[in-house]
Amino acid sequence: MVSSAWVTIGLSAGVLLAMAMVLGYVLGWADRKFRVEVDPRVVKVIDVLPGANCGGCGYVGCGEYAEAVVLEHEAVNKCVVGGQRCALDVALIMGVEVGETLPYRPIVHCGAHYEDRLGRHEYRGEPRCSAANLVTGVQACTYGCLGFGDCQQACRFDAIHVVDGLATVDYQSCVGCGACAKACPRNIITITPFKSEQVLAVACSNKDKGRDVMAVCRVGCIGCGACARISSLFRLEDNLSTIDYDAYTPECSLEVMEACKKCPRKRLVFVGIPTPEDRRKARDLEAPDVVEPDFKTTVDDTEWRG
Amino acid sequence: MADQPTATERFVQGILPENPVYRQLLGLCSTLAVTNGLKPALTMAGAVGFVLLSANVIISLIRNLLKPHLRIVVFTLIIAAFVTMVDRFLAAYMYSMSKALGPYIPLIIVNCIIICRCEVCASRQSVFTAAADAVGQTAGFALALVSIAAVRELLGTGALAGVRVLPAAWPDWVVMVLPPGAFLTFGLLLALVNWVAARRGGGG
Amino acid sequence: MGYAVDIFLIAVSAALINNFVLYYFVGICPFIGVSRRVEMALGMGGAVTFVISIASFLSWTITTLVLMPGAPLTRWAAGFFLPPEAAAAVDLTILTYIVYIFVIASSVQFVEMYVRRFYPPLYKSFGVFLPLITTNCAILFACLVIMGHVVGVENPAEAWDLGKALTLGFFGGVGFTIAIVIMAGIREELELCDVPEPFKGAAITLIIGGILAMAFMGFTGVDSGLRAALGGG
Repeated sequence: MVSSAWVTIGLSAGVLLAMAMVLGYVLGWADRKFRVEVDPRVVKVIDVLPGANCGGCGYVGCGEYAEAVVLEHEAVNKCVVGGQRCALDVALIMGVEVGETLPYRPIVHCGAHYEDRLGRHEYRGEPRCSAANLVTGVQACTYGCLGFGDCQQACRFDAIHVVDGLATVDYQSCVGCGACAKACPRNIITITPFKSEQVLAVACSNKDKGRDVMAVCRVGCIGCGACARISSLFRLEDNLSTIDYDAYTPECSLEVMEACKKCPRKRLVFVGIPTPEDRRKARDLEAPDVVEPDFKTTVDDTEWRG
Repeated sequence: MADQPTATERFVQGILPENPVYRQLLGLCSTLAVTNGLKPALTMAGAVGFVLLSANVIISLIRNLLKPHLRIVVFTLIIAAFVTMVDRFLAAYMYSMSKALGPYIPLIIVNCIIICRCEVCASRQSVFTAAADAVGQTAGFALALVSIAAVRELLGTGALAGVRVLPAAWPDWVVMVLPPGAFLTFGLLLALVNWVAARRGGGG
Repeated sequence: MGYAVDIFLIAVSAALINNFVLYYFVGICPFIGVSRRVEMALGMGGAVTFVISIASFLSWTITTLVLMPGAPLTRWAAGFFLPPEAAAAVDLTILTYIVYIFVIASSVQFVEMYVRRFYPPLYKSFGVFLPLITTNCAILFACLVIMGHVVGVENPAEAWDLGKALTLGFFGGVGFTIAIVIMAGIREELELCDVPEPFKGAAITLIIGGILAMAFMGFTGVDSGLRAALGGG
């Protein structure tokens, strides 16, 4: 008779082998029986998409968008993060043509920091833009940035921050998903096609005229129309200068520079990824003191009165 | 691939910057369970170290034979074999410790640290680098376990590794050696580590 | 009557008194990672309970039939090579961990394929968690506890049968779900609070977990009280 130890070893090996075979067989059977037909193009499209799952295309995740493209003939150029290259890759997989897509980036249409805003009062309430927007008196300008950071909270890429009370975009981190624009209760963030790394923007949303604007803000657009007189790129709508981004090309720089100089409130600014010259200039600047707001909420001092 | 970390980098990263418990938040089940004393903590660190090193070396040796969709299963089986060895060794030579650690030794099989290191390092780099990675991560793991265990045992029983350190007047905070103590100690120490890391890395 | 009391006590113990997450520290990774929204937590809890039950069933069956010393199938196979007493002593428990992990990984894979095919909306809601569950400590822990009550028990009449094994597995999963859903509810509220920077994320979750564990400590001793009240088992 064989020794007990060898039998144990032999049976152990036998059990493992038997398990491997049985489970392998069962899983193989299940794989065939429970097969879900997935269009292989969906997998290819998912591979090509950036995978950020940001929701900028309007779908919950890259997987959903890929399915929509393949199964429901969704447009191939909806991915903001992937941009033109991604749209071309997806178009290649689907065998369609695609037009040119541009990167979309947010522009904050307000340029007033805390010291520029007049008529600010102590606000005791929930420190959120959506809440502060519902009450009067937080600041005199009812159009501009409130600075409580709803956009900063909404951004998943750490690309927008409230600096000295004004929402400021970090264009190097931004992917263009549009979450900040959706979060802003005053709708002063627009998602604009950037035809070059830096584009011109009107940093104001105030629709009042002249004296009324100057009473609420030191830097708001007064609707004087100087820019519109210089170039047809600008149009005055509701006492506010607006730029026609379809007509905007990086080549119209001469007119644009003149308009920027002529603006009495200096509201025409270039926004985008900083150029090397900007960086050099910034190196010599002293960083300003950041003013931290001291917002109290109602629970700090008041008693609960039921 | 040229941009993969070298062996020394892997070793150094494992101790503090990529500490498996405090920075990567892996292997928390063992961390919370065995840190009610210094001796169990060190035993667990030793066991995990042995398994991690062995598994990393073996997987690094067979890395070119692995099929992508079967990787995790293969890793787990190899780790299970080594954990069985550790378990039998402890049961034979350190019986009381084996009883104290109980089911947590076999749970090393599903310890996320080992599977993560196999996936990230061993299946892609050479044996020496994988071994250095294992040693570094084990050192980090041991550091984390000892820090939590020291606090819990000291406050909970007034002793360190069984030797009474605090005066007899110390009312032993028994809750520290019970489950809530584990969560609270680890949470507070993690906040401390986050704070230190932020001060070093941020604008400090 | 005694059997029903036993089942009831095992269930209460696994779900509340010795809660898998808050007492035994298994399943901490999903507890901290997944518990951000209540729907996701419910999905994860449901998936874990389902897989634990299957794994408990399979591990009890394999342990009783093959692995433990004196198991029927092993005794029959060894009987070809050894005299009956020696055949009854063949002990394959060295294979336990490997076999369990094999079984768990395969059953998770099987469940994933099944759910994906027949219940697509369910798959969309918790299918993504299934591969994560393979490395979930809670499943392996349940299997090990069952093994502890089957192998190496001095009195063979005390060894757990299938009913008790399934009860432990299922209610262990229920306890996990309870803990993770409570945690998710608290964390949803936490999003609106001003948490200090070093505490954000895992640290504050752990501290809340600690307070939750303290609360659950209130259940200690309930099982002996229940046993006395129900007339002993």
